[in-house]
Amino acid sequence: MSYPNQPNQPNQLSRRELLRLSGLSLASGIALAACGKQSGVIDDGAIARLGEAPSTTALAEAEVTDAVLLRTAASLEYNAIDTYTAALGLGVFKGDLAGATEIAKRFRDDHQAHADAVNGLVKALGGKEHRCANVRINDLYLTPALALITDDKNPNVGVDVIALAHALENLAAQTYQGVVELISDPKLRADAIRIGQQESRHAALLAQVLNPGIAAMGPTNDPTTGKPNIAAIPAAYGSQANIQLIVGAPKPDGTRTTLLLETPSLNSLVYDSVSC
Amino acid sequence: MLSENDITFLVAAQSLELAARDLYANAISRKTKSDEEQGLLTLLHSHHAAYEQTLNGVLSKRAALKRNDEAYTRFFALLSNADNFWTTLLELENTAIATHTAIIAKLESAKHASLLASITTVQARHAAMLATRISTNLDLALENTAQSLVAP
Repeated sequence: MSYPNQPNQPNQLSRRELLRLSGLSLASGIALAACGKQSGVIDDGAIARLGEAPSTTALAEAEVTDAVLLRTAASLEYNAIDTYTAALGLGVFKGDLAGATEIAKRFRDDHQAHADAVNGLVKALGGKEHRCANVRINDLYLTPALALITDDKNPNVGVDVIALAHALENLAAQTYQGVVELISDPKLRADAIRIGQQESRHAALLAQVLNPGIAAMGPTNDPTTGKPNIAAIPAAYGSQANIQLIVGAPKPDGTRTTLLLETPSLNSLVYDSVSC
Repeated sequence: MLSENDITFLVAAQSLELAARDLYANAISRKTKSDEEQGLLTLLHSHHAAYEQTLNGVLSKRAALKRNDEAYTRFFALLSNADNFWTTLLELENTAIATHTAIIAKLESAKHASLLASITTVQARHAAMLATRISTNLDLALENTAQSLVAP
């Protein structure tokens, strides 16, 4: 039996050869360094070079402060306002869903009041108001969801719009709940969750539109798929898990697209440098 | 390690949850509602029992030894009028939300403020659903005019 490190193997390097090679590498490095800029060699362009290394701009300081957390919450309020405005503009709340028009208008007004209240808190902290939607939440979730919902082949536009609003209300409630642990001022924590509580009430009422009846208020499962149904009161504690949103036209196998919504993270917070 | 300040307020939250648990147990024992409504009451009772137990675990040896008798007596009296049944439970939930929120504003521990926050977001759902048993008025389901039992 032979082993790879035996000296008589043709492709093996002896200890002496290794030492010689490492010495050679070191000498080459010194020679190359001597030809560099620091040695005073003038670059006359004789040696071809592809591209130019761009100069870098340092990123703005991105500190997660109470004001940043509240500005992020304000941005979500505008996501909600824009979504309800778009939903009302679609004119899909008809027939069994006619009552949803009044709910959508009321909830949009509530979100405007929340946005004003949160921006008031931001200003009190010496921060800058944020009066537009969170771009990343739009790009990641709302724009794709609305594209699926308004697809010509989708037979359930009205119900899907309510499902989107329900998911968005849950997202807002989770965001306010999540920032309570991050906010440093106890009074601001209470101010934040007071708004989160109303988002939860919105979510519960929309859950009843999607899955009505007293028996559906608590957690239930679809008997066919075994998956949890939409519920007004799905658990004893406010969840921080991602939110499932199933919308759009059925695919050939009968399933529909599932989007997973998550509360704003470090890359979607509205830092001080972000403006509308 | 909880501060004395936080212990005082978390004990107040737990004693209110003990009262809510007992009030729901009483409401269920009356058996005056439909099976589905009894199911809803049982669900809400189980949640308040869970909140009380969680706070009991947080407080450990410093946990509340008895329910908030003042709240229990007040709501028990209101529940005795069958016409006020759902309104009383709605008022109970809104009072718990207002009280826990006032406590959040006083807690030093962000972690325990977060626990109470997660409880209040679900109690807000309780309240919205109880409101739908009374009326279709959105204000009733969405607004909380109840007073906190803890001074804000």
